[in-house]
Formats: sequence, C-alpha cells, structure tokens
Amino acid sequence: MSTIAIISSFADETQCAQAIDELRAAQVGDFNTFSPIPSHKIEHAIGRSKSPVRWLVLAGGISGVLTGLAITIGTTFEWRLNAGGRPLLSWPPFIVICFELMVLLGGIFGFFGVLMLSGVPTSVMAPGYDGRFGEDRFGIVVRCDEAEAARVESVLKESGAEEVVREDEAQPR
Amino acid sequence: MSTNLQRAHREPASMKPRAVESVAGTTMKTVAGAMIVLGAIAFGLALMRGDAAIAWEAYLVNLLYFLGVAQGAVVASAAFYLTQAKWGGSTPYRLGEAFAPFLWVGFFLFFGLYFGRSLIFPWVTHPIAQKAAWLNTPFLFARDGIGLGVMAAASFAFIRVSRSDGARAWTIATDEIELPPHSIRVLAPLVAVLFAAVYSLIAFDLVMSLAPVWRSTLFGWYFFAGCFWSGLAAMALTAAVLRGRLGANNLFTNPTVMHDFGKMVFAFSVFWIYLLFAQYIVIWYGDLPVETFFIVQRVHHMPWSPLSVACLVLIWLIPFTALMSVRAKKTPVILGAVAALGLAGMWLERYVLVVPSLSLDAIPFGVTQFLMSIGFLGAFLISAVPGLNRVAQAATSGEPVGDDAE
Repeated sequence: MSTIAIISSFADETQCAQAIDELRAAQVGDFNTFSPIPSHKIEHAIGRSKSPVRWLVLAGGISGVLTGLAITIGTTFEWRLNAGGRPLLSWPPFIVICFELMVLLGGIFGFFGVLMLSGVPTSVMAPGYDGRFGEDRFGIVVRCDEAEAARVESVLKESGAEEVVREDEAQPR
Repeated sequence: MSTNLQRAHREPASMKPRAVESVAGTTMKTVAGAMIVLGAIAFGLALMRGDAAIAWEAYLVNLLYFLGVAQGAVVASAAFYLTQAKWGGSTPYRLGEAFAPFLWVGFFLFFGLYFGRSLIFPWVTHPIAQKAAWLNTPFLFARDGIGLGVMAAASFAFIRVSRSDGARAWTIATDEIELPPHSIRVLAPLVAVLFAAVYSLIAFDLVMSLAPVWRSTLFGWYFFAGCFWSGLAAMALTAAVLRGRLGANNLFTNPTVMHDFGKMVFAFSVFWIYLLFAQYIVIWYGDLPVETFFIVQRVHHMPWSPLSVACLVLIWLIPFTALMSVRAKKTPVILGAVAALGLAGMWLERYVLVVPSLSLDAIPFGVTQFLMSIGFLGAFLISAVPGLNRVAQAATSGEPVGDDAE
C-alpha cells in the first residue's frame, strides 16, 4: 500500500466547503486546502480553532499604548514646557499619540504575525499546489492510501469538483 | 436563473394572504394614548402655573430626541440600500421605517416652539446685532420648518418605494436581482444627504443658538451622528424585544442577524465618541474662552458634570466594553440592555446639550419634565404601531435571508 495524492479543483467556495465536510465525515486520509480568497465558509468547514494572531495584535496594541505613554510623558518631563498654563501632563493630546501608536504597532504585529504563523514567505511549495489556486480556483489535495483513492475521488466529484486528478497525472503549471 | 427570478418575484404576492402577526395592538395604543394625555396635562398645568420655561425646555429636549430616533432609523434603512445590505432580508428595512410617522408629528410639534420662543431662544429677547440676519424668528422657523417638512416628505416617498414589491424582491433575492428599483437608487441617497444637511441645521438652530455666542463647526455632524446611532439602538432594542414575542423561527432568532445589529450599535457608538473627541481636542488646543465655556460648564461644573460623564458611560463605555465579543452581540438580552441604556444615555445627552444653556447651575428636572417625556414617548410609540406590525409580518414570513450574513 502506498500513499498517493489526489488533487481536485473547485470553482465555487460552497462546493469546496461541502467537499471538506464530507471528507472529514468519511475520515479518509489527510488533506490540504488552497483558496485564492479568505473564505469564512472554508474556515468553518476545516473546523480549525481561531487563529492566535489576535493575541499578537492585542500584544502589539498594548505595547503601542505603553510606547505612546512613554514618549508623551517622557518628553514632557525632559522639556518642561508651560503651554498656556495647562497642567504639565495634559491627557487630551496624549490620547491621540497613544491611539495612533496602538493602531500602528497592533497592525505591524498583526501583519508579521500572519506571515509567521502561515509560514510565508517560503521556498518550499506545498505539495499539490497549482497556480490556479492563487487565481480563481479552490483546491483540495488529499493524501490517502491507494485503496481509498476511488472513494475519495467519488466524494470530491459528487461535491462538484471540476477536475480530480492523481498526483502522478497532474501537469505542473 | 430565470426560475430564480420568477421565484423571487412571486414570493411577495404569495406571502400576502398570511395572517398578520400583530405585536402592537389595542393595548399598546391605549397605553400610549394615556401617556400622551398625561404629558399634555403636565404641559398645560406647567404653562398655567407659570413654569413655562421648564415646560418649553422639556418640550425642546424631547422633540429633538424623538425626531432624531425616528429620522435616524429611516436613514439606517436608506443606508442599507446604499450598502446593498441583504443580511436580514426585508426585515431590517421595515424596522428602520417603523418609527417614521413620528416625523410628521415632530414636524407639527416643531411649530409649537414658536409660542415658547422668547423663553428658550436667548436671542429673541436680547438680539445679537452681528448674527441678527441669521438668528431671527421668522427666518429660523421658515428654514427649519421647510427643512423638517422636506425631510419628512422625502422620507415618506422613500418608504413608499421601499415597501413596494420590487424593492422587497431585491432585498430577499440572493444574487439574481442586481440592483434595487431605480427610484430607490435616487431616493435613498437623497434621504441620506438631506439628513446631513437638515439635521446640521437643526443642531445649529435649536441647540447651538441657545448659547448664541458659542460655535463649533463640527457640531452639526456630531448631532446627526448621534441621531443615527439612537435610531440604530432603537432598532436593536426592538429586535431584541420582538425576538421573544414572535414565536419560534422569527428572523430575530437568527444569531447572525442579531450579530449584525450588534456590530452596528458597537461601530456607531465608537463613531459618536470619535466626533465628540474631535470637537473637544480642537477646543482644548485653542483654549478660547468663547469656545471653552460651553464644555467647562457641562464637564467641570456641578451639577452638570456627573450627567456628562453618565452620557459617555451610557453611549460609549458600556456599548464598547459589553459588545466587544461576538457572543455578547449575539445574546439578545445583552444587546437589548445595551441599546436601552444607550437610548437613555442619548436622551440625557440631548438634555445636557440643551438645558445648561438655559439653566446655568440647577437641574430643573421634576414631575413636569418627567410626565412630558412620557407624553412624547407615548406619541412616538403610537406612531410606531403600524410599522411594528409590518416588522412582525416581515420577520415571521420565513423569507430567505441573503448570503452575506456572517
């Protein structure tokens, strides 16, 4: 028994999500999904828990606020400027600096967090990846025993796959 | 494709014979009618007793507040067309339009202010020479009356088309009908643009002119953003209340629909405080006495400062913290409570905007103002009776909900 890969492509995200549901129900092999767009439906079908990237964004946001406080309060004590008799530490303009730094660092942490957690950029292409999966097609690549291949293929076709091929037949693009 | 089109067009007709789910009937009309009578008696007694000033203050606060809620909700319906919202079928549109009859009530009540003008507008008895061309009685009542009349007429023209079968078919069709009817595509942006213009004018004339030397260019925007938010909060509260009253499988039992209402209440609460802060920081930086006195009196002086803080808590802090999580937005009890507190907060905000200009260091709130507010609430509720029944009908019709409810 050898393990083989079956590559299927879908034009419709709902059909792709349905195929994922059925593959999971049938419990055949291991599969990988490619999507040209962020898709909530596919995310739900895969059933993976929420990405930890939001904790990174929160950490970035908090460090942004702290940086903002450090800059505003620090520079105020470094250069004690009396502006129109206002209190030395005046919170209204500090809010603006803290807010902007929170957004900036939160965004930067989020951006690099996504890259880090998704392993991008990489020089190793995921097996079965096809250029079309970055354009207008959704793809599911199933790795399973040869004996189960026929069943997997029928599940994929019934869900509405446009094309189902075994790895050795697939033409690299 | 063609079968889908036919189905979408046929459904409105086939649904009409269904029994109307009545949520607002005789009881509600009776109670609301009694509330109006109470308010009218309190108003009349106050005028006879010589407490006319506080009676007219309460009149103005409630007029601004309830007009804002009714108009804000209609604009929300127009905004749904502008953003092509299909997340709740036709129900959110009916919900936004439910309170609209109060627009005509408010239009007529506005002219009542004419009789109290010398008590609420300081510039009537002490005209300001430089501003007399703008702040004079005939011009103010003419421009605001025309503005409110045009606004109500445009809103009703919009609602008439919005309730037509063509518009409804678009709201419940998933993909097959690309655009709503042409007249909606003219009237929805018209209502939105008129709202910005007319309610800025109302803010400048009926709130800012009470402290006639004060000015803030952003005040109009801030005011109508508050109206819009109070309209959304009223819709969310109505949705949360009707959810339990319409039986199983009404639209409001759908968590994704409640999630969408929650998102809007959350988002526009943040937008409100953004505009508030944008005004505050400019006035704070400038530090000109002619601008700061308005804020100092409300934020730093007793007895007004606790009320101002309460506004911030009710309109921003509670919605922002309570509705942050997805689960809270999807829980009708939480969403309804936040919306109800927010509506109370928005009433308080109107009170804090208007009354300190007229009564510097005392809160003139007593039985008269309370009963008059009850009276206005009664007028608002009785106006909403037919609209609420339409909401109930739409929410229980079992119509398909658009694909993009997430």
